[in-house]
Amino acid sequence: MRPEEEPHVTKYRTYVLVWVGLVILTGMTLSVAGMELGGWTILIALGIAGTKSGLVLNYFMHLRSERPFIFSVIIPLVMAVFLVFILLTFSDLAFRSGVK
Amino acid sequence: MTSVEATESVRPGISFYEDRRGILSWVLTLDHKRIGLLYLIFVIAFFFSGVILGFFMRLQMLSPSTIMKPQTYNSLFTLHGIIMIFLVVIPAIPTIFGNFFVPIQIGARDVAFPRINLLSWWLYISGATVVFVSVFTGGGPPDTGWTFYAPYSLRTTVNVPLAVFGVFVLGMSSILTGINLVTTTHRLRAPGMTWRRLPLFVWGIYSTSWVQILATPVIGITMVLIFLERFFGVGVFDPTKGGDPILYQHMFWIYSHPATYIMILPAMGIVSDVVPVFARKKIFGYMAIAISGVAIAAVGSLVWGHHMFVSGQSDFANLLFSLLTFLVAIPSAIKVFNWVATLHKGSIVLEPPLLFCLSFIFLFSIGGLTGLIQGALAPNVHLHDTYWIPAHFHYIIFGGMGFGLFAAFHYWFPKMFGRMYNRKAAKIAWVIMFIGFNVFYFSMLLLGWEGMPRRYYDYLPQFRTLHLTATFGSWILIAGLIVMFANLFRGLFKGEKADDNPWDAETLEWQIPSPPPTENFEKIPVIQHGPYDFKEFAKNG
Amino acid sequence: MDEAKAFVFEEARDDTGAKLGMWLFILSELLLFGGMFILYSAYRYKNPVDFHHGSRELEVLLGTFNTIILLTSSLSMAASISALQRGQRKLSMVLLMATMALGLLFLVNKGFEWGTRIEHGIYPNSPSLLTRAKGEILFFGLYYVMTGLHGLHVLVGVCIIFGMLKLIAKGKINQMRFVPLENAGLYWHLVDIIWIFLYPLFYLIA
Repeated sequence: MRPEEEPHVTKYRTYVLVWVGLVILTGMTLSVAGMELGGWTILIALGIAGTKSGLVLNYFMHLRSERPFIFSVIIPLVMAVFLVFILLTFSDLAFRSGVK
Repeated sequence: MTSVEATESVRPGISFYEDRRGILSWVLTLDHKRIGLLYLIFVIAFFFSGVILGFFMRLQMLSPSTIMKPQTYNSLFTLHGIIMIFLVVIPAIPTIFGNFFVPIQIGARDVAFPRINLLSWWLYISGATVVFVSVFTGGGPPDTGWTFYAPYSLRTTVNVPLAVFGVFVLGMSSILTGINLVTTTHRLRAPGMTWRRLPLFVWGIYSTSWVQILATPVIGITMVLIFLERFFGVGVFDPTKGGDPILYQHMFWIYSHPATYIMILPAMGIVSDVVPVFARKKIFGYMAIAISGVAIAAVGSLVWGHHMFVSGQSDFANLLFSLLTFLVAIPSAIKVFNWVATLHKGSIVLEPPLLFCLSFIFLFSIGGLTGLIQGALAPNVHLHDTYWIPAHFHYIIFGGMGFGLFAAFHYWFPKMFGRMYNRKAAKIAWVIMFIGFNVFYFSMLLLGWEGMPRRYYDYLPQFRTLHLTATFGSWILIAGLIVMFANLFRGLFKGEKADDNPWDAETLEWQIPSPPPTENFEKIPVIQHGPYDFKEFAKNG
Repeated sequence: MDEAKAFVFEEARDDTGAKLGMWLFILSELLLFGGMFILYSAYRYKNPVDFHHGSRELEVLLGTFNTIILLTSSLSMAASISALQRGQRKLSMVLLMATMALGLLFLVNKGFEWGTRIEHGIYPNSPSLLTRAKGEILFFGLYYVMTGLHGLHVLVGVCIIFGMLKLIAKGKINQMRFVPLENAGLYWHLVDIIWIFLYPLFYLIA
């Protein structure tokens, strides 16, 4: 194994804490759904889901401990690509005039 | 998953052909060079099938009388598109030359994942088989056009499900190839092979591979949905169930427009490698060419709506997509300027690889300029679904990618096979093809301009003359193709033995024997200069 | 001529490269599901009320329970890698078996969920579904396709983990060579992440 590849062994404690965080966030998203928040609900739900994913990506999937630069780029990249696809599609859907 | 397992030479130093023998040692090989050749055989075979389909299409259109049923014509152009796009143009350069030469050009012994590489080839063969089976089963070959637009693709009684499943399998092959080549470029460069010393062909394949990874899944899921729609009536694209056919077009073109960059970027990479060698001059603006490739991949993923200007898309989307389409022309133009600037005051050696590159530059430019015309909203209303559109994309795909592919054939032939073809015959073939190509496709541009609709099996008398010239042009083009391939096949068996470096090039593949040994390099090289540092350059300054 | 054993040139195992390849594959999977999320967004935008009605028919408790199951399975998966890295082979295998069990439990729940929907006559192209509003037809179409595709990935993940178990038992994956297990973990966590988004979008919009 190359020197830069000495494994980063995560503590069990870290994993359990992350899991607790994930469960709490799940509870939060459940209770937010019960509230009357109109358009904000979806944004909050996505924000919570994004946070949960961030925890999984960085801690369970070890993304924050990978050395080469490319690893720090790939998730932002796929998010940007997805965002672009969905925004441009909505530039059509949200602006159609006439009969729906 | 180690490259060591892959390139186990039985007897180091001898050619990769001799190292192991027997058909199993080929179809179960882990050697990137053998895999490249396996792809070569089938890409060429599928190209010939596509040409034959095209030949019959043009035969039908030769005169207003008809030689086939309309349904047959619909299937012909559908299959022509599916075969040419998914089995030939998208895979060709990355799987043949990317596989064969990227590892060598970066100073590696193989790709990062040789077994995945073999899997990619088997998926390619499987996908192709599924597509061919769909022609003869379940109601017959698809007649929807290669675009499979809903709702027609949901209703037509021909074998759409199998065809789209074939496309799905081919997509998986493409994604795995992309993953392999990106990882290879990141991880297996030899000491001293910095990103700025990479041959521009590698940059081209690298940008392409990212598009393969990121865009292909979208068509994957779209094909799955057509399949599910046909069998389970899910409803996502079916208007009777609330589905939106325009949304199908979005999903389809989100991949299929970037797919055109999967087609062209590798060919541009070849031109960037070949032009310096035959101008005996360093490439003009190396970083501009490298980064413009990345820019094309990025901006090119934002323009797909230009296929949908008249579909019912919103005016706002039309404006956005038209503007973005104009922007993507910029990085392409940068490459054209830089190639021409490289040739300027160079010491030109007019060999076949350069001839094909010169015609690439010319034909691709026409394709690009016609693209700007149809990318403007008002002209598009008149030009959409006329012959102008296939003329445009044949200038780019055939005039561009196709001629780039042929340049690669003629450039790397001596390295891959250890022999040289007849250069005079190659030049003659090129002249015939160039003439035939322009007679054929320029006639189509004119036909489209005058309003001839595409995908029609018949036409009004006013279009007669141009259809005649187009068909004659296609025959000349096919004649040129025959001369070219015959010359290359002959060179394979009867050609003179070639030097290790007949073109006097500086990239790594020319510093090893022709054909290469299985392990590529006796010792992994340490790189100390760029890919186009010709000795003459030192004199010219 | 003696077909001698192969010449080996350099010792060149590349763990980072193996992980990079797996991550690139994960990107492609994210965009595969991403395509479906685009469709979901589009149809929800067009049919907000119908989606709301459709969601009311799904059982929130079961969905939430399944979410917790998958999150816990991610914990056991991640921990199994740490265990192997520390040389705790048996613990690693137990944690992997727990991951598999949780995955299978998820699928069983999903099976029940689908089963009750189908009993009520709600499945793609069912006569009863087709009488409903267009938006509801789309909601359930997307529901079946997205949870179905996700479930398929869970099943594949369970099989992959089973394969890893066998390789650990044989010693082919061990304290010195565990990247295949890490990559299996990456796949499993991907499946978890997709569900993290599916859950609120289908169950919590009532």
